Amino acid sequence: MTPPFLSIRGIRKAYGDAVAVEAVSLDIARGEFVTFLGPSGSGKSTTLYVIAGLLQPSAGDVLLDGRSLLAVPSHRRNIGMVFQRYTLFPHLTVAENVAFPLRVRRRPEAEVQAKVKAMLELVRLEPYRDRLPAKLSGGQQQRVALARALAYDPPVLLMDEPLSALDKTLREEIQVEIRRIHRETGVTILYVTHDQEEALRLSDRIALFNHGRIEQIGSGRDLYDASQTRFAAGFIGNSNFLPGRIAASGAGRAIIVCPDGSRIEGVPLQGLEGGGGEAMLMVRPERMRLERPAPGRAGLPGVVVDRTFLGDTMHYTVRTPWNQELAVRSPLAEAGDADFGFGDAVTVAWDAEQTRLFPGG
Amino acid sequence: MLLDYDRLGALRWLLGGISLAVALFLLLPILLIVALSFGSSQWLQFPPPGWTLRWYRDLFADPGWLDAVLASLKVASIVTVLSVLLGLLAAFGLVRGRFRGREVLRALFLTPMVLPVVVLAVALYALFLRLHLNGTLAGFVIAHLVIALPFALLSIGNALERFDKAIEDAAVLCGASPWEARLRVTLPGIRLGLFAAAIFSFLASWDEVVLAIFMASPDLQTLPVRVWGALRQDLSPVIAAASALLVAFTAALMLLAALFRRSKEP
Repeated sequence: MTPPFLSIRGIRKAYGDAVAVEAVSLDIARGEFVTFLGPSGSGKSTTLYVIAGLLQPSAGDVLLDGRSLLAVPSHRRNIGMVFQRYTLFPHLTVAENVAFPLRVRRRPEAEVQAKVKAMLELVRLEPYRDRLPAKLSGGQQQRVALARALAYDPPVLLMDEPLSALDKTLREEIQVEIRRIHRETGVTILYVTHDQEEALRLSDRIALFNHGRIEQIGSGRDLYDASQTRFAAGFIGNSNFLPGRIAASGAGRAIIVCPDGSRIEGVPLQGLEGGGGEAMLMVRPERMRLERPAPGRAGLPGVVVDRTFLGDTMHYTVRTPWNQELAVRSPLAEAGDADFGFGDAVTVAWDAEQTRLFPGG
Repeated sequence: MLLDYDRLGALRWLLGGISLAVALFLLLPILLIVALSFGSSQWLQFPPPGWTLRWYRDLFADPGWLDAVLASLKVASIVTVLSVLLGLLAAFGLVRGRFRGREVLRALFLTPMVLPVVVLAVALYALFLRLHLNGTLAGFVIAHLVIALPFALLSIGNALERFDKAIEDAAVLCGASPWEARLRVTLPGIRLGLFAAAIFSFLASWDEVVLAIFMASPDLQTLPVRVWGALRQDLSPVIAAASALLVAFTAALMLLAALFRRSKEP
């Protein structure tokens, strides 16, 4: 069996009593684009710095092609890195910055020039080659940093929130560039971000970090539709959490009783078999729909307390009998469809299959 | 802003007046000395009855004055080199290092700035008597290094604090060894601080008189010591000429520093 391309095994990093990374293990395939997503202080950047060799882990190992990297100093790891802050060398021009890693490696001048040209073409900054970093915008600086990090064909490229200082439009523009560059170069990318949209947009797989651990690894779709933990469900996308009690269960399904006595039947148990008692249900706002209350109709009773027109959808806020506000996002009503306004009594319904069930409390 | 200059009205004239008065207060003694050095009166009479270059001729004709100028240049140059080198190493340790007593050590490095110079001079004199360093070039250099080093440490330390360590990390990731990264990326990045450190170190030695008086011997004395000595013997306008040169050289260095700083700003 061939070893995984990049293997992170049981990384732990503690500063005295403060633990930044508890235990992180992860295998990454060649050419994959993996995002480390999580709130600040969740250990995602620390893990990246351990891979870069800028931090020594307290325990664990990092293997590239089956060989441990820990004993290799940073400058010999041949890993590319783009930092959160602007790190172009201020006294060198754009071209000299990109040439730096090649000059350090004492490559022949002709090769250096050819590579610099190719890299600047890759990030589309050829016309800026003789400028100093101070004369570039933030987005341009990060693209030069990307060109510099790729100039020596590193097997792995690390990116530590490289776009967090840029505004939204520019960020999305460069995200498209990064995807294109990933496609064109085939480099393996580990990308740290706290922005879930960025993670969903860029990556093949997302590793969701929380409190120094990986909560869940999977495609964006996996994390969104099949969240394994309450944290994952709450962090990715919008979500409604409903308190409830497991009244009965069998054949992988459960009947949940809400605080007002409403019963929700056919909820997939998702590993909570045998667990009676408190539970937490999660339903995405776009999975819920509003209906006119009618006898025998399944769902939760509620009252519309707010509605907002969002262009492609209508966003309702519905208050439940136990005074919880639910977010419901519906397609725009067509002529003849029921439309709801402030104060209307409604029934909130959804397909029980679309419910995620987590331990309560 | 509350105190917007454009909205001060008549107060602007008052502010301007005060600034002018302070500037004159600071500049007049210097201008006076320069004027006297060109005056024809032998008794430093002001305003001068006439103008002459005689005192400058006398100054350059006297090998004693020339030796003093050369001694000052030599001491200040060696002090500059050592001060920048040691200041750079100390700044790296104090800014980048994470160890107990770092703040105490930093304060210790800066004490020569607040310690009365004469106390330092007496202490060094007593020490150098045992080491037979009084009156030697080494004695001068060590004494002046003590007062120049804090300036170098401050300039380089500030520059190093402003220089993002992540830039050096980026150079290391690019394949430069830590030392190579510091030499090829960090040093050029803090070159303004290094330059300021050099100028301040040079000036700290160039116009220092108290330590120099204690260190001086008949064979080796710096320009300020020579001025001081001459002043006590006779009140010749040659002193004014020497002082004017001292001031001119200092002013030229400050101007150079200002020009350098401006040319490097985007």
